[in-house]
Amino acid sequence: MRWSRRLYLRPVLAVAVAAFGSHSLGCATLAFTRASDLDAPDFAAPDFERQIAPLLIKRCLECHQEKDPAGGLSLVSGEALMSGGDSGLAISSGAPEESYLLERVQSGEMPPEQKGISQQLSDEEIALLQQWVQAGATWPEQRTLDLYEITSDVRGGRDWWSLQRIERVEPPEVKQVDLVSNSIDAFILARLQLAGLEPAPLESKRKLIRRVYYDVIGLPPTYEEVAAFEADESANAWQRVVDRLLESPQYGERWARYWLDLVRFAETSGYERDQEKPFAWRYRDWVVDALNSDMPYDRFVLEQLAGDELPDRSERSVVATGMLRLGTWNDEPNDPDDYKYERLEDLVHVTSTAFLSLTVKCARCHDHKFDPIPQTDYYQLAAVFWPGAIEPRDRKWLGGPTEEELGFENVLGWTDLGATAEPLHLLKLGERSRPGEVIAAGALSSVRSLARPFEPPPADATTTTRRLQLARWIVDSQNPLTSRVLVNRLWQHHFGAGLVRTPNNFGFNGDQPTHPALLDWLADELIQGEWRMKRMHKLMLMSRTFRQSSIHPRFDQYNERDAANRHWWRAERRRLDAEALRDTMLYVAGELDETQGGPSFHASVSPNALQGLSRKDAAWEASPQAQQRRRSLYMFAQRSLLSPMMTTFDFCDTVAPCGKRDVTTAATQALALLNSTFSHDRSRALAKRVVDLAADDPQQQVRLVWRFALGRLPTAFEEQLAQAHLAEGRQRFRPAATTERTTGLISLESLCHVLLNSNEFVYLD
Amino acid sequence: MDRSRLFPCGHSRREFVWEMGAGFAGLALTSLLSADSFFGHQAVAARVGGATNPMASAAPHFASQAKACIFLMMNGAPSQVDTFDYKPALEKYAGQPLPEDKSYTNSGGRKVGYLTPAWRKFRPGGESGLLVSDYFPEVRKHADKLCVINSCHTDSHAHGSALVAMNTGKTFIGRPSLGSWCLYGLGTENQSLPGYVVMLDKRGGPISGQPNWSSGFMPSTFSGTLFRPIGDPILDLRGPEHVTPDVQRAQLDLMVRLNQQHMAQRPGGHELAARVESYELAYRMQAEAPEAVDISTESQQTVAKYGVGQEPTDEFGRNCLVARRLVERGVRFVQLYSGGGHLEETWDAHESIEKNHGQHGAEVDQPIAALLEDLEQRGMLDETLVVWGGEFGRMPFSEGQNAPGRNHNPYGFTMWLAGGGVRGGMHYGATDEFGFQAVENKVHLHDIHATILHLMGLDHQRLSYFHQGRQESLTDVGGRVIHDVMA
Repeated sequence: MRWSRRLYLRPVLAVAVAAFGSHSLGCATLAFTRASDLDAPDFAAPDFERQIAPLLIKRCLECHQEKDPAGGLSLVSGEALMSGGDSGLAISSGAPEESYLLERVQSGEMPPEQKGISQQLSDEEIALLQQWVQAGATWPEQRTLDLYEITSDVRGGRDWWSLQRIERVEPPEVKQVDLVSNSIDAFILARLQLAGLEPAPLESKRKLIRRVYYDVIGLPPTYEEVAAFEADESANAWQRVVDRLLESPQYGERWARYWLDLVRFAETSGYERDQEKPFAWRYRDWVVDALNSDMPYDRFVLEQLAGDELPDRSERSVVATGMLRLGTWNDEPNDPDDYKYERLEDLVHVTSTAFLSLTVKCARCHDHKFDPIPQTDYYQLAAVFWPGAIEPRDRKWLGGPTEEELGFENVLGWTDLGATAEPLHLLKLGERSRPGEVIAAGALSSVRSLARPFEPPPADATTTTRRLQLARWIVDSQNPLTSRVLVNRLWQHHFGAGLVRTPNNFGFNGDQPTHPALLDWLADELIQGEWRMKRMHKLMLMSRTFRQSSIHPRFDQYNERDAANRHWWRAERRRLDAEALRDTMLYVAGELDETQGGPSFHASVSPNALQGLSRKDAAWEASPQAQQRRRSLYMFAQRSLLSPMMTTFDFCDTVAPCGKRDVTTAATQALALLNSTFSHDRSRALAKRVVDLAADDPQQQVRLVWRFALGRLPTAFEEQLAQAHLAEGRQRFRPAATTERTTGLISLESLCHVLLNSNEFVYLD
Repeated sequence: MDRSRLFPCGHSRREFVWEMGAGFAGLALTSLLSADSFFGHQAVAARVGGATNPMASAAPHFASQAKACIFLMMNGAPSQVDTFDYKPALEKYAGQPLPEDKSYTNSGGRKVGYLTPAWRKFRPGGESGLLVSDYFPEVRKHADKLCVINSCHTDSHAHGSALVAMNTGKTFIGRPSLGSWCLYGLGTENQSLPGYVVMLDKRGGPISGQPNWSSGFMPSTFSGTLFRPIGDPILDLRGPEHVTPDVQRAQLDLMVRLNQQHMAQRPGGHELAARVESYELAYRMQAEAPEAVDISTESQQTVAKYGVGQEPTDEFGRNCLVARRLVERGVRFVQLYSGGGHLEETWDAHESIEKNHGQHGAEVDQPIAALLEDLEQRGMLDETLVVWGGEFGRMPFSEGQNAPGRNHNPYGFTMWLAGGGVRGGMHYGATDEFGFQAVENKVHLHDIHATILHLMGLDHQRLSYFHQGRQESLTDVGGRVIHDVMA
């Protein structure tokens, strides 16, 4: 582009021609003769490795790389530099004033501005280049530059932290052993002490048990459970609670949801017809079961990516491949051939995000701008999925294999359509009209220690085994990403934020770990513990760090220094997510149907929200009310009509992987809890539950409301306020009362409603 | 092509905190972070600059006239050659096929007939003499306000993906819609009403549903709110009957006292305080949202002008009137759908242009004219950008021999802009002599979006949202602001 605008040749110096001549001989020290003709310069020639190479890599190489270099000028090697570009020679060794490259750089034309912002080199950088050219532009023999060899302040290289092997560092020794329950605390405390901070005191037992219940099973403890724990003075009281919860089948229901967010789970295709994806719920149940049975994480990955290719393949392992079927699917794309590449992007994206936390999809049209992921890597991953049902076919298969191909009925699964596949071409700029080289399936090149080509499938194979090989690469104990990514997710859900706060991006544009040694230690522990997740949960839950209070005696002072709590000087206060909130409302009202698994229920949706559906013939049919009292995990997720109650409370977008939901506070949430039928129905059920036990004794009633809703007894002041509310209500509700619903009952409903809306109900200490 | 624009992954300066692990309540806190490497290399530059309310009205990138936008979405795709793109050549070539060198996708594999002239007459309107067909005789009277862009083209011939594209910039679902971007960039001026309102056609929602007004990967706070033009316009504005305003006040008062106690024991609980505030706001919304759609305070003359209470204009007229009331009350972005559901319930005139456009035109013509006139009379037109158009256009040839309908056409279609700093009484761009394909000053849908954002004071290249390692924007790597349409 810019180079080619100047077609005239620059004055050519003889010395450069000499360099041309020598380049075929592999000579690398170029153009030194001219430099030696000069008077001794009054500056030291810049050091190539230390000063010039990083500058060229950072500021020039992105466009002036080896393949299809901008303006025909490549800057990857000395030969390339000296052979110049479309506009002629780039530099004249020893003559900066005659060097076109320097002219372009000095004028600020290079590097070109981006989005209207000048990228001009600094005076120091320009001076370095000048001095280098002046001194003969020496380039070490055989040295080629690579855009990704080092990290700079604009881009991550192969030396980026998350791509380095996991280094297990033993926990630091700390003096205050009373503040250390296990190794996690040692890492945390050491960092706190370095900053001159003290951790918060231990949380009260009542708040703590509430925290851990939500954390592990997504429901609150009952008043009795709280009381029993408070009364239990034994040394292992906490451990027993943790063990019991981790063994509860509700653990899987709580934690499966986090995984479903990551794999963009929904039960329809999206777009015009928004067809149901039959048996998607079996994948959901597979996740719940996998977690509850503590399936090792490596197996968890293998089954989802390649459950059909495993030697011990079973119907269950093929159900797991449903992960690859969950994406949106348009049966009427604008261009069916282009759409194949959209589907590949979905599969590459979900795989690289969920398991590796890298944004590989950014390399679909070009080399990644920020991470060492060349475009060929994107296509290597794409080629892994290419042998599946990517080609357009009869819409009744919803973009997947037929039952015969899959080998099972009533399974939403994935498989290759044969042991071979058409070659996949890289597309220049992502355009189908510009096919490039054929790319073989493979994994990411930047993990050099694991670089190995994929094997062809065995002779008797019915699939290409590419997914199996990719999955094995992912779960290789030497893979630097997989275990770090997983323990970070576990940490995030236990503590409210990750050690890496961008759980889906371990690349340059992500956040860096606050506690790298701890992250590595945990990652190594996971592998040492044979990838069992429950062991990791327990480790985190047993730490003092988990059990500290969300309130710190020196809050104001510490908050000024570390408002984001990156040192973990206190526990994070958290709002219940959409599922926990809805489930708790049903639970405290005594209504929650705890049936596990099976097809999803359809929630009632108000007519106003139903307006949004285009198809009247496919009008929404809500399930019977009884079924609607199941946990939110089992709520049918239709892409064209997500439940307003859930989305209002930040249910994730179901189109792309979500590693961390937004947490917003908005008036529409208040409206939903204040006014929705769902909310009022729960208040009524809770009041009825109370009246069934307390009859019309107001004191008993108030105490029961608090016990059920908040797991504690009211304070004297709260009791007083509540009684006043009931008394007022008995007057106020006279017009609305009937013989069955007395003013007393309606008043009690009103009190219940207030508690279900209160901050204490919605926030977790 | 300018290569630097091909690749959008560059940093712009509006990285948002959600990626960094803080919610809204955390905004103020995270902005205090130092640049210490321990705090990450990308300390946060939030769009709200330390405010805790992401909906707070925010300064535009540059001074602009338009403060609000009303997008009149003609769902189903009106025919350009029958409405705002006069093609006399079609009379000359009537009955002949489209020349063979014109290639296109025959959407849905439908019958291909012959070039067919406009089904109704075109006549000049206003001083500018812009030609508008008899499907829009009332709008024609406001020709001097219209900037008619005849050279639009888009990326899909299928309703589902084209609608999503017209709303979100891409043919696939999952991205924030135009209204969400406006709300994200500008906030809204009335905190007691949603900042981005969508009113659908009674016959149904648009194909693909919710993703058309979704906030995609942005927080759901920025998504469009469905509004009903009568009664309680939004979800959950009212509880059961016995919960009167008095009762609710008593409930809220008790809740506040309980919450105060709860907060007193939790120093620094900004998020707790924010939640208390959200209840007060919700309480006000309950009164103000119904008031916003209560047209009983409008003069009879105004109501009649919009065609409210008459058929077939009642529904769309009411929506237009409510749109004006919303904009008057500080709502940032209002989108009205004409046509809902499928096929002939929308502007999708496969069967008959005359029947379909005759019906839908009659429903919207008078209301749109009234809206333009009303906005002008109230001095609001300069500050309100009105956008008219569908997701694509229609073919200049019939769908089958002597057939009265026309098939989909993404290669050339017409949209118009009015008010909000737009130059009226002009055409921009042109299709070929058949009205088949944009040929002169082509305007891609990214260009339309870039121009709408510009008119709203937003730079489409700077308005970006950091998501999954990439600066995302409405126009992605494309988009060109069409300065020629500005006054």
